[in-house]
Amino acid sequence: MDIQYQGEHLGFGVLGNILVILSFTAALLSTLSYYFSFSKKNELGNSWNQLARITFGIHAISVFGIVFLIYYLIHGHFFEYYYIWQHSNTVLPMKYMWACLWEGQEGSFLIWTFWHVVLSFIIIRKAGTWEAPVMFTVMIIQTFLASMLLGLEFGSIKIGSNPFILLRNHADFVNLPFIHMADYLSKIKDGRGLNPLLQNYWMVIHPPTLFLGFAATAIPFAYAVGGIISGRAKEWVKPAIPWALFGVMVLGTGILMGGAWAYESLSFGGFWAWDPVENASLVPWLMLVGATHVMIVYNKNGTSLHSTYILTALTFILILYSTFLTRSGILGDTSVHAFTDLGMKGQLLIYLVFFLVLSIYLSIRHRKELSSGAEEDHITSREFWMFMGMLILVISSIQIIITTSIPVINKIFDTKMAPPADAIDFYNSWQIPLATVLALLMSFGIYFRWKKSDLKQVAKKLARSFIIALVLTIGIEYYYSFSRVQLMLLLFTSLWAFIANLDYFINTLKGKLKYSGASVAHMGIAFVLLGSLIANTEKVVISQNRLNVDLGKDFPNNENILLYQGDTLPMGNYYVTYKDKTVDGIHIRYEVEYLKADHESGKLKKEFSLFPFVQLNERMGNVSEPSTKHFFDRDIYTHVTYAELDDKDKIKKAAEDEGFKPGKKYQLSIGDTITTSNSLVVLQSLNKDVDKDLLMLQESDLAVSADLLIMDVNKKIYQAKPVFILRDKSSFNRPVEITELGLRFSFIRIIPEENKFEIEVAEKEGNSKEFIIMKAIIFPQINILWIGCILMIIGTWIAIVKRIKKSRI
Amino acid sequence: MKKIHIIAIVVIAVALAVIVSTISNSSTYAPFKTAIENEGKTFHVVGKLNKEKDFIYNPEVNANLFGFYLIDNEGLERKVLYNGSKPQDFERSEQIVVVGKISGDDFHANQILMKCPSKYNGNQQDQLKAVTADGGKAS
Repeated sequence: MDIQYQGEHLGFGVLGNILVILSFTAALLSTLSYYFSFSKKNELGNSWNQLARITFGIHAISVFGIVFLIYYLIHGHFFEYYYIWQHSNTVLPMKYMWACLWEGQEGSFLIWTFWHVVLSFIIIRKAGTWEAPVMFTVMIIQTFLASMLLGLEFGSIKIGSNPFILLRNHADFVNLPFIHMADYLSKIKDGRGLNPLLQNYWMVIHPPTLFLGFAATAIPFAYAVGGIISGRAKEWVKPAIPWALFGVMVLGTGILMGGAWAYESLSFGGFWAWDPVENASLVPWLMLVGATHVMIVYNKNGTSLHSTYILTALTFILILYSTFLTRSGILGDTSVHAFTDLGMKGQLLIYLVFFLVLSIYLSIRHRKELSSGAEEDHITSREFWMFMGMLILVISSIQIIITTSIPVINKIFDTKMAPPADAIDFYNSWQIPLATVLALLMSFGIYFRWKKSDLKQVAKKLARSFIIALVLTIGIEYYYSFSRVQLMLLLFTSLWAFIANLDYFINTLKGKLKYSGASVAHMGIAFVLLGSLIANTEKVVISQNRLNVDLGKDFPNNENILLYQGDTLPMGNYYVTYKDKTVDGIHIRYEVEYLKADHESGKLKKEFSLFPFVQLNERMGNVSEPSTKHFFDRDIYTHVTYAELDDKDKIKKAAEDEGFKPGKKYQLSIGDTITTSNSLVVLQSLNKDVDKDLLMLQESDLAVSADLLIMDVNKKIYQAKPVFILRDKSSFNRPVEITELGLRFSFIRIIPEENKFEIEVAEKEGNSKEFIIMKAIIFPQINILWIGCILMIIGTWIAIVKRIKKSRI
Repeated sequence: MKKIHIIAIVVIAVALAVIVSTISNSSTYAPFKTAIENEGKTFHVVGKLNKEKDFIYNPEVNANLFGFYLIDNEGLERKVLYNGSKPQDFERSEQIVVVGKISGDDFHANQILMKCPSKYNGNQQDQLKAVTADGGKAS
């Protein structure tokens, strides 16, 4: 029985599926054609090249078509398609429509494919004789990526995940009865929408940048593989250098954007958390930086070709490995933001293993062509030190990737290892010394000449920057007093690296911008290291809890502060007031005012307001997002760690008895402590000396008071002496109220057998005042880090421009 | 000896050093029983929140002390104390990983990882949230 579903637009799906299949088959055909194009040198080769270009064109049109079609479907809210329903909805602002496209895995593979196509156009136009072998390799990669969208199922084997699958055919829906009614679509009012946490301008710019970086690493790899299989094993490096630099620049920018995003709008409390997903893209970048350096070495004097090949291949393989880590679901418990498994684990693994085996095979099979003779770099040559730098980068990568791979190791060896309890500390203990060495190499490396240098000359030129750096280090050390030698060394080397490169730019290059790529990029890296050193080690949590219930040394200092609405508390150099909260859709915004005392009058003056907020996110739970005040020399970062989100009215209804809530009864011995919502209460002693006249009691009454000591949040001490009275056979009591705290104490009875005394504590309704718990951190000199990032990007760009100009001459 | 050999040796040596240091620094997923037997040693304990017992959280007294009862996968229950504020949406968590050590009768956690079920897709879209008592420098 066929159901006629109403309101569906199946045509788009048919078109989409045709494009998906077309993009895959065209990529496959183009791969083969490019292969024949360079393996047959005669005219036949030319016609293969024609065919290769045509099939590539079809592939390109299909990929652009899929991107456009999905965007169109998102825009038109065609929720009969699962991907559209899952990632978009009707209320989403225009600017986030693109973000919906790459929120899901299918879309992110698509954007990656898209960038490969864009870069391929440049290769076809500019690469000349390199077109066929390079494009051959790129099209193998494209064939694999295009298969990720196929969505074919053969029994239990699934190839790809199709973005055009219908909602009613998707595994999550197919068993729901309503989905098989003809008018099911009218019941689907809206899509799930973009995760609110990702509704952020970073989500619009970060993923495409990162994927462009991913795509850029494939090009040097394609030059390497294409060069070797087309018999030009010794020539591929030169044209690959600008691409490698481009990859360094774009991937670096993408990673830094991720860090900036985390810092700006996720409450991680920092810009880098050594999260597995962050690491997965950092490691290929480090490897690529290493590869680029040895490429330059080879290009200059013809040594280190084999290492160049290995690093270039490793960079690309690590990109695939990082894709595998983040999309196979294997990170599971260890990462906050990995994708979940879409059943493509096997396919991703095949993809990874294919390129790994291919690279190793080529490396062994062509080791003769890749060997660069017996000539060794001299220890006083620039290339020697660049090589050393590459080695440090490799070591650093190995450490990060092994630690990140713990879940993979567990899977393979069936172990139960967990990441180090203090992962950040563990990474830092390795990476800080490595960064120190790297900064050292960056400072003097550039002063060495190619081939061989005169050490005296080098030393003479370095003396100035060394002395300036030393003086500055002493000054900064005096100001901040890093207690650990490790940190002092990094401080010195990163300062020296910056100054030495600046000095080189001014005095050796005489300010010629054209040749300044390396020195500017190195100045940038030096600033990134310096900025993160100062911001991370000198960050101060100013929101100290004032009532220190010490839990022993297991726990770090108490870092969250309680703020009642309207109250003003001192915090660091400031006073803070929690002014108000406003509800704005799914955001609850808290206005926190920072004040400073005026020197003369002593009055508090408002400096600025911050608006941290809590997002009521149905998909991820409630998410707290920070608000940061940026100053030239520091940032003040604030986020709400806890707030009562329930309606207070419910509690109000329970109120009775002159505004007191029902009391709580405690059986106490002398010396026992109890807590109320705003204070600590200690039963100090019993007192039989009760002034009976004052309480208007009879002389024969037996009266005992319980001496209570009460300490409030501000450590102010109060005393209360509720009285218990025995008259004849009956008993009654005289409660005592502490109005400031809204507390009422009653001495209910004495339990002689246990030597205990029953005390009732009642709290005023007003005690559950509106409050927030907040954390505030000062990050000093974090701007050095961001300036460093920008310098690094500019420096790399200068280097690319120089390389491209050089290759044209 | 050629450069490529030197690299190979250095890289292998470092890889070994990293593996050794990772293993010696790594924590282990373990039940409470193991953690109790090795008091003071850090473990990752996976378990479920005991929803019948109350949380311990009085922000107005101490905003930095949060406690709850966790039943591990072997059914053993321990009180877990955490030095920080109560994580948002803690009640909704389905599975919890606590990182810390046994101290006396209680488990002192310095990190809590929560898995919250999605409202839409059941376990397919599990989301993980991490909360860390991050030891910043105190003023």
